[in-house]
Amino acid sequence: MPLSEDVLRQYIGGSGLGAWLLASNQDLPPDPLSPDAPLIFAFSPLVGSPLTTSAKFAVVSRSPLTGRFNDSLASSGFAIAGKQAGCDAIVIVGKAPALSVLVIDDGNVRLEPAGDVAGESCPVTEERLRARLGTDYRIASIGPAGERAVRYATISHDGRHAGRGGSGAVLGSKNIKAIAVRGTQRVGWARPRQLTELSRDLSKRSFGPATAKYRELGTAANLLTFNRFGTLPTRNFQQGTFEDAPNLSPEQLRVEYSRTRASCVACTIGCEHIYSVGKSSVRVEYENLFALGSLCGVSDHAAVLRASQRCDELGIDTISAGGTIAFAMECVERGLLDEPWLTFGSGEAVLRAIDLIGTREGVGALLAEGSRRAAETIGQGSIAFAPQVKGLEIPGYEPRGLQTMALGFAVGARGADHNRSGAYDVDFSDKVDRRHATLDSVRHAIDTEDKAALMDSLILCKFLRRVLEDFHGESAAMLVAVTGWDVTSDELRETARRIVATKRQVNLLAGWTLAEDTLPDRFFNSPLPNDPEAVLTRERLQELVAEYHRQRGW
Amino acid sequence: MYVEFLGIPRERAGISELELEAETLGQVLGALSARCPGLSDLITPAGLHPSIAANLNGDEFVTSLETRLAGDDRLLILSADVGG
Repeated sequence: MPLSEDVLRQYIGGSGLGAWLLASNQDLPPDPLSPDAPLIFAFSPLVGSPLTTSAKFAVVSRSPLTGRFNDSLASSGFAIAGKQAGCDAIVIVGKAPALSVLVIDDGNVRLEPAGDVAGESCPVTEERLRARLGTDYRIASIGPAGERAVRYATISHDGRHAGRGGSGAVLGSKNIKAIAVRGTQRVGWARPRQLTELSRDLSKRSFGPATAKYRELGTAANLLTFNRFGTLPTRNFQQGTFEDAPNLSPEQLRVEYSRTRASCVACTIGCEHIYSVGKSSVRVEYENLFALGSLCGVSDHAAVLRASQRCDELGIDTISAGGTIAFAMECVERGLLDEPWLTFGSGEAVLRAIDLIGTREGVGALLAEGSRRAAETIGQGSIAFAPQVKGLEIPGYEPRGLQTMALGFAVGARGADHNRSGAYDVDFSDKVDRRHATLDSVRHAIDTEDKAALMDSLILCKFLRRVLEDFHGESAAMLVAVTGWDVTSDELRETARRIVATKRQVNLLAGWTLAEDTLPDRFFNSPLPNDPEAVLTRERLQELVAEYHRQRGW
Repeated sequence: MYVEFLGIPRERAGISELELEAETLGQVLGALSARCPGLSDLITPAGLHPSIAANLNGDEFVTSLETRLAGDDRLLILSADVGG
């Protein structure tokens, strides 16, 4: 479908453009896994430019996990191939008669049989399809979990995942195992000389101290820091410190395993830390270590790395997998679920549970639904400690000790999420008291949410955010150089607000109510055992949420 | 007082903590510059590099070089970016 320049300027690309495309469809089917439910791959103006970290794409749909808006991002060559194929976005509706590969070769679209890769892992699927179609194709695929409609299945490309919210299940529901894209069209820029200068300057700055954490330790550096602050979610959020955290830290992992670093295409940061495990390797991120480690009480680093690797192979979101397994472990501990092997601290149990989820066998059929649906089935008040907001499992930031982030989680359009709200940055600063949020926290939470919406639409990696000294001004300059539009900082501030509002509009169409903007009962009125000052009351959070909506003008 | 290093500051300092005598944050940073050369690109005359944060006893984040410190305080030096 043609997209007007007005729409492209108002929503830019990525999450913003995807949100607009979804909101424009007033007849969204009630079931996100219905054939008629659209799944959108959205690219952006900056993709294909020499700007560092710009090779990214967004996958947008309603989430089968939450029923609400979902946008998940991934990186690398698929984004550039999509752009070079002439696409601002790829919108998929309908259902193939049999498992298929959607092949986009420049402007030509066709389906090919995918029976030969049915049930195969994401890496194997990519490898086989590139062997069949040609190495110049870039492939995004689902694993067995996506084929079996695991509600938090991912879409994988080149070892990275559009991870949260179950976009892999949406693609699987359309009988599409993979999308293969090849593009040969040249991407042009309005002001190439200016763009080259901006790109050189940004790349140079991206090597500095602002990104050292990502280069030298990776996101896993958070583990010991959060443990020290008592904000490392442990045993399904029953504690904020994990006694064996040092065993899972990157500082320890590099002693135990050989390690290499890698980057997405067109990235100068190189945040990926890849550890060798036997004859294979696994990418390690903080969220994997937290979700499959401390959250499940597992201190065996070999089991955590293997669990992470298994999630990648099956195409499962590690955060939702870990959150749902940890929830089930607490249910077992409380006598609410008769799976005696599923105990906190058992790495074997985590590995077994992941395989059962990926195949939907045994208790895996229940856990494949996510913690909220599992709690609704188990009943007996277990919803109080299901670690989710709007159905999306909470990432590794303890809300009681990080209360600006608690607000960010509560109001997030796609549920509890650390990529759409960067409010943790505020909690780790002198702007607020992280344990005692006030109404002044709200404007900070809004600011981080708006900036995230803008970065997800441009698209630039959030690991650059501290490199950008004048966030809106520099973002505007990049967009001017690429598009020639006379975009200003103020326009981008307005654009960010528009994009956040459009995500909400999708949620309103899907039946959202204010009651959803909250946290599980677990977090109210019971302090963290190791931090008695970290108390969040329901009334306080409700005040913050109300102020958030007031400041948004909703 | 004690200084604890986490993340990148720990990498650069090469130690996880040390004890020193100082009455203000500014004095701590001055002492660290002298004792831990690896921290040189993280400490500027105006204070810590914006990518680095200082926290007092796990409670309050502090930026003013005039911040007063007590003998039993623990100053945590960490990466300001805790994105993951």
